[in-house]
Amino acid sequence: MFESSQNVMLKPTESWRETLLDSRVMELFFTVHRKIREDTDMAQDSLQCLAQLASLHGPVFPDEGSQVDYLAHFIEGLLNTINGIEIEDSEAVGISSIISNLITVFPRNILTAIPNELFSSFVNCLAHLTCSFGRSAALEEVLDKDDMVYMEAYDKLLESWLTLVQDDKHFHKGFFTQHAVQVFNSYIQCHLAAPDGTRNLTANGVASREEEEISELQEDDRDQFCDQLASVGMLGRIAAEHCIPLLTSLLEDRVTRLHGQLQRHQQQLLASPASGSIDNKVLDDLYEDIHWLILVTGYLLANDTQGETPLIPPEVMEYSIKHSAEVDINTTLQILGSPGEKASSIPGYNRTDSVIRLLSAILRVSEVESRAIRANLTHLLSPQMGKDIVWFLKRWAKTYLLVDEKLYDQISLPFSTAFGADTEGSQWIVGYLLEKVISNLAVWSSEQDLANDTVQLLVTLVERRERANLVIQCENWWNLAKQFARRSPPLHYLSSSVQRTLMKALVLGGFAHMDTETKQQYWTEVLQPLQQRFLNVINQENFQQICQEEEVKQEITATLEALCGIAEATQIDNVAILFNFLMDFLNNCIGLMEVYKNTPETVNLIIEVFVEVAHKQICYLGEAKAMNLYEACLTLLQVYSKNNLGRQRIDVTAEEDQYQDLLLIMELLTNLLSKEFIDFSDTDEVFRGHEPGQATNRSVSAADVVLYGVNLVLPLMSQDLLKFPSLCNQYYKLITFICEIFPEKIPQLPEDLFKSLMYSLELGMSSMSSEVCQLCLEAVTPLAEQCAKAQETDSTLFLATRHFLKMVFDMLVLQKHNTEMTTAAGEAFYTLVCLHQAEYSELVETLLSTQQDPVIYQRLADAFNKLTASSTPPTLDRKQKMAFLKSLEEFMANVGGLLCVK
Amino acid sequence: MADELDFTTADAGASFTYPMQCSALRKNGFVVLKGRPCKIVEMSTSKTGKHGHAKVHLVGIDIFTGKKYEDICPSTHNMDVPNIKRNDYQLIGIQDGYLSLLTESGEVREDLKLPEGDLGKEIEGKFNANEDVQISVISAMNEECAVAIKPCK
Repeated sequence: MFESSQNVMLKPTESWRETLLDSRVMELFFTVHRKIREDTDMAQDSLQCLAQLASLHGPVFPDEGSQVDYLAHFIEGLLNTINGIEIEDSEAVGISSIISNLITVFPRNILTAIPNELFSSFVNCLAHLTCSFGRSAALEEVLDKDDMVYMEAYDKLLESWLTLVQDDKHFHKGFFTQHAVQVFNSYIQCHLAAPDGTRNLTANGVASREEEEISELQEDDRDQFCDQLASVGMLGRIAAEHCIPLLTSLLEDRVTRLHGQLQRHQQQLLASPASGSIDNKVLDDLYEDIHWLILVTGYLLANDTQGETPLIPPEVMEYSIKHSAEVDINTTLQILGSPGEKASSIPGYNRTDSVIRLLSAILRVSEVESRAIRANLTHLLSPQMGKDIVWFLKRWAKTYLLVDEKLYDQISLPFSTAFGADTEGSQWIVGYLLEKVISNLAVWSSEQDLANDTVQLLVTLVERRERANLVIQCENWWNLAKQFARRSPPLHYLSSSVQRTLMKALVLGGFAHMDTETKQQYWTEVLQPLQQRFLNVINQENFQQICQEEEVKQEITATLEALCGIAEATQIDNVAILFNFLMDFLNNCIGLMEVYKNTPETVNLIIEVFVEVAHKQICYLGEAKAMNLYEACLTLLQVYSKNNLGRQRIDVTAEEDQYQDLLLIMELLTNLLSKEFIDFSDTDEVFRGHEPGQATNRSVSAADVVLYGVNLVLPLMSQDLLKFPSLCNQYYKLITFICEIFPEKIPQLPEDLFKSLMYSLELGMSSMSSEVCQLCLEAVTPLAEQCAKAQETDSTLFLATRHFLKMVFDMLVLQKHNTEMTTAAGEAFYTLVCLHQAEYSELVETLLSTQQDPVIYQRLADAFNKLTASSTPPTLDRKQKMAFLKSLEEFMANVGGLLCVK
Repeated sequence: MADELDFTTADAGASFTYPMQCSALRKNGFVVLKGRPCKIVEMSTSKTGKHGHAKVHLVGIDIFTGKKYEDICPSTHNMDVPNIKRNDYQLIGIQDGYLSLLTESGEVREDLKLPEGDLGKEIEGKFNANEDVQISVISAMNEECAVAIKPCK
């Protein structure tokens, strides 16, 4: 019944008050656990019970006082149970769940209302357990255990810290500092090599080290451990006074050692160039240390941001401000601006801003890397470290570079002097970062992920106008643009996705502030060559004959890739220019579809250009422009259809990406439909002034294009193809969109198509993933509403919905299903019930008549009566529908499990 | 190293292939593996140890024989990529296991074998049923082969 709910919070009704608030009950559970804790299985169950009790909330508590008493009692019991014992492996996860539930469920004011001493003991215990679980988790990693119980427990506790400290106004300032230092130190220690740390040490202190093959599918640490790192970063901020200088000195020490080690390798190579293998153990240890230090620093100094303006964390800002009186700004700038020199060699280095010094420590790592590259030691460097560096710089630049003073109450003087607007510091650092990007793209073109992170840093530098303004003042930027337009090495060695993003960055840079003449010149360098080269190729008289020649094909491919990149650069303020530029190409691309009809990879790329343009631009396009795009897409679909009907594909490898074209077409149609949901256009507002007074006569609508496309796609889809997850998801997304947006068009579909659409929905509800099932349920609701509106009781759609009623009825009442689906299923159910009231009553009757147990019969009959009580007769009225959904929830809680328990 | 010793490809291959950095190859693209033109059906990278450099693991299917080839090399290496050409011809006859095809310029080619397997059967079936069909022919590194069939427009 409740598939997805492992950790349900305990929220009983008032009637449980006497039982659950009786302290003897709680004590009983603790006693039981103490008695059976050595039995692995039973211990887990008893801890599960305690975790439930730790999540107690709701009407069972008459007032806050009783909640405080309960919590105090519980914590006492917990501390008595775990203090002074050696925790068993099998207890770790359970105990951390208890703590995590306590911290999540009980409000801060309750937590702080328990006796001070008890609360302190609780937090001390939490800190102690966190460090201890962290160490055990590290051991598990060394031993490469399959079941990482301590890692799971550690994750939970770190997350609890994050919850606990985030809402800090209930605690006096600095309350958690000592604990934060403790947890932070232990995290760092577990991740550094000996002698500073214990990484890769087994319990008896023996170092273990193996070089394993790591596949590209292995997640990067920064993603795999992002939750841990976020918690540790947060704790680092709370204890900034300790943690920032600690990270700085650890990093500075590693930089010096890395530099020395690389120099020794170089001398060794010079002395005996042929001397085979060098032991890289020392280097690898340094790289791994630096790797973790950079990750922690990245998470400490800045937040992950998606869509929102990244802000400097207040703790970091306060820390810098607090010390700014003791800081010498000039020395700080000198430390920042001389990454080639040892920090400690700069006079007065101890009177510098600590945050800037931490940044400069990473710039020093970056500088050692750059110098090693210049000394031809690239083969000794770690691409992973290279990745970490640009990842950090991107994260840092997003938050700190050209800090916007308007966003803060108070700003640190060192920050605003070093990287504020109109400062030498920011211009210097932009130049430095750009140089790093260019060097990386040349040197690391063979390291896909590193090149990708690098080009993302470049995008960060230009995606905000203020930063772009500085970037375009660098000569390097112009060189990069020219080099890319020439398609010469090393940039054309980059993988296509990196080249795309590079194009995106170059286009974004073009919207920086420049005088008209410069701007003209810029576009002449960046976009014009693209157009010129493309037109030169396709306008050759013998293009048809030479189109398969490799240079020609490469030229075409590169252009199409670039077009995707240009589309990706779309922002609201440049869409007018970019749309017009791309539209010229789109029409030519359709011609290419014909020419390259036998070259699937090129056809796919052409469709992809359309997918990208629709994806990025349709939401900004007004009526006239949208129509241009619809028309182009329609023509594309027509050509595609002409070339694909009756085509038999040779089946060497029936693999998903053989159907890439189909997937892309469906994506295109979905993107075109998305305008119905997200539309920022103000009838060509952004185009005003570009093409005044264009008459709008709607010749093609989104519906036309999409239905044409569906006519095309449906016959090509088969049940076999739905076995491919990406095709399946895209397909159902598309048909759901269509049912939601154009339900009135569905009954008008040709009979075959209508049938296969209905069959698809049935299939989706009965035998696909729960996501697909949810989509189908969402599609059924508007279809049933459409039927109700049309009032035709003999239409095929009407008959089809009757069948859906039975399906949804069975799903809700008889089958196990994901609880997340109840809302979608409920809405569909209600609409269907409205439409087919008689059939619904029949279903209920049939179900009841099969019940032999009179108790169950009565319970079910009552539940069904209650279910429809608030909505009799059922009508498509919002208020009634909501009432029904609420009753359905109660219905499910009451009898939902009754019939599906076997 | 092996390439340098392989005189035939070094000589004749010059116009049939061109070099490309391994990392710039893409799945569904083409590459020469063990001297054979292959379509890349699998491409993955790995590294030895967290701080190692990327290696590319390639699995290719010979575009003519369907045989599978594999290779693994540092991602900085250059690999040969075959020049691939595709043409559509109208099918006008089948004789002794060879296809008679009409080129766009009106010439007749009779040097291409009827492919084996399902595709061959399908071609024969369609031809015997007097359907007008076109045959897609792929060519690379001095070899040619029919790979697909579709109705004439």
